[in-house]
Amino acid sequence: MLEIMSKVKVAVVGCGFIANAAHLPSLKRIENVEIAAVVDIIEERARKAAEEFKADKWFTDYTKVLDMKDIDVIDVCTPTYTHCEITVASLKAGKHVVCEKPISLKLREANEMIETAKKENMRFMVAHCLRFWPEYVRVKRLVEEGAIGEPRIARAYRQSGFPMWAPWHKKIEYGGGVFIDMSIHDVDFLRWVLGEVYEVYAQGGVLLHKDSTAPDYVHALLRFKSGAIAYVEGSWIMPEGFPFTTYLEIAGTKGLLTVDNQYTASLKVFKKNTCSTYTPQSEDAYYLELKHFIDCVVEDKEPLVTGEDARKTLEVVLAAVKSIRENKPVKLPLGEEVIL
Amino acid sequence: MRKYRFAILSFAHIHAWSYARVLKELPNTELVAIYDDSPERLIKAGDAFKIDVDKRYSDYFKLLEKEDIDAVIVASENAKHRDLVIAAAEHGKHVICEKPIATTLKDADEMVQAAKKHRVKFQTAFVMRYHEATVEVKKLLERGEIGDILVITTTNHGMYPGLWFADPKLAGGGAVMDHTVHTADLMRWYTEDEVNTVYARIGVNIRPHLPTEDNALILLRFRKGVLGSIDCSWSRPDNWPIWGDVYLGIIGTEGYILVDAFRSCITLASENKTLKWIYHGPDCDKEMIRDFVKCIEEDREPRASGWDGRQALEIALAAYESHKRGEVIELPLA
Repeated sequence: MLEIMSKVKVAVVGCGFIANAAHLPSLKRIENVEIAAVVDIIEERARKAAEEFKADKWFTDYTKVLDMKDIDVIDVCTPTYTHCEITVASLKAGKHVVCEKPISLKLREANEMIETAKKENMRFMVAHCLRFWPEYVRVKRLVEEGAIGEPRIARAYRQSGFPMWAPWHKKIEYGGGVFIDMSIHDVDFLRWVLGEVYEVYAQGGVLLHKDSTAPDYVHALLRFKSGAIAYVEGSWIMPEGFPFTTYLEIAGTKGLLTVDNQYTASLKVFKKNTCSTYTPQSEDAYYLELKHFIDCVVEDKEPLVTGEDARKTLEVVLAAVKSIRENKPVKLPLGEEVIL
Repeated sequence: MRKYRFAILSFAHIHAWSYARVLKELPNTELVAIYDDSPERLIKAGDAFKIDVDKRYSDYFKLLEKEDIDAVIVASENAKHRDLVIAAAEHGKHVICEKPIATTLKDADEMVQAAKKHRVKFQTAFVMRYHEATVEVKKLLERGEIGDILVITTTNHGMYPGLWFADPKLAGGGAVMDHTVHTADLMRWYTEDEVNTVYARIGVNIRPHLPTEDNALILLRFRKGVLGSIDCSWSRPDNWPIWGDVYLGIIGTEGYILVDAFRSCITLASENKTLKWIYHGPDCDKEMIRDFVKCIEEDREPRASGWDGRQALEIALAAYESHKRGEVIELPLA
């Protein structure tokens, strides 16, 4: 257990979109955190992030931070296919690890990450940010309080253009495609609220971006052990300039709730040809998520999203890929690895 | 101006009341006679629309024999559509039939055949093909405004409609029978294609006391590859501000169209009442009947024909079959 008053030293590995847009600014705002180092294989990105977020050191090789004795936490923000290697190496070096979602693209790797954390007795969390997203947390609480009775049927959309900022998304073996990378948010949240999934049927694939091997559109029908059913849609085929849109509704025996990020935001900013719709909050999901993990490290608590949770969520999105390939409903647990 | 003389055969379906209103409002239509097998409804509708007592029939055969009418609107319980439609066709009356066209494909086929044989117009009341927003979408698609269609996500949510809608004998099912066909029909219309496969799951009931299902999800694949989804659930609680929705997200290769057909609403908070959304948008019932009369005048096929009704019914029936077997169902049904 760490000294309560001392600063937790964090190294951020991977300085791409999610690190710059979410992790680094959030870590910067957590009082008992010091961004001790940043790492990116692209030197320019590492140097820039170090400058902007006042990190002491920057590296292009992540193993360098594993050798730094005073670093407590590694925040893994690299492309999905590298999560396992970096996480396992960090845990073995005696670092706590918070890793961006998806945990990995392979169940075998997820197992290895979970087992290593246990063996090394290190904290490990996967950054499923919806579990900290203020309106989604509110939904979870409302359902728990019985506001809609027993949940029966849910819908969740997540729609945007193709994530061009990260070209690795075009390779299925790197990112898994829209359902694995993006709908995993909704799947994980629905698991949190509705319980475990036992069957998946999905349709979709590469519908628009023919230079991509990763599916750019998937919609799936999930069946939960609780008896609930859900429609989950992930789209990267919206037209250029389409605002990132999320929608959730859950109907139960005593009511219905909906969350719609385009209709219920507190702010709209119009500029030439663009409009941003959002609800600015200083304690936003990324801040709350990273703050939670730091608290878990300091207070030696189990994080809200365990490796096992992330693995179960991964299994559902992999089942969707398998279902598309076989054009039939797929039951969980999966008997074998789905090779992307 | 020639006035087209209509009878309404049964007010069991709530839409009958709106059709009667339209027949009174349009300049070239009139509501001449009504039939109902419920004496209470006959009185209630007869009084509401000022129908002479001798024009209120409890025997539809007599009405068809005696009354000089051009057309009928059949708005009975689903399972009773067949007999009414076939009798009307045999008497040479043009027919608008409430959706779903019937509860079995056999009934639907016999209805389509009868209309053909007796050379009467046979329209399925797919009013959503006459909503000005969905008509606009058809034009946008034809002009290629969003390129080729890739996916159509749809919902036709509703409150539980009550009455006989959850009586398996009269309705032929629950939410799947009631709410699959509207958006299934729109998808057929927009893609100009037929459904190849259907996968569906019926959920555990939101209202456990109902004898039929009240929520379900359906995934479709069209022959040329377009993907579709339907949420046909009666998942809106009784105190929801509006009865439900017809929502379509159409993703094309070059754009996206979002239809929320009944979102044109005034929000009203009134003393002792729950918050309401009062719809003020296009009147699709009126547009449908207006167009139907033109079909008679110009001797052309209705925009949504009996065959379209039959094809949409097949999708709903395939959804039940898919749920029962836990499999992806290929159309046509055997």
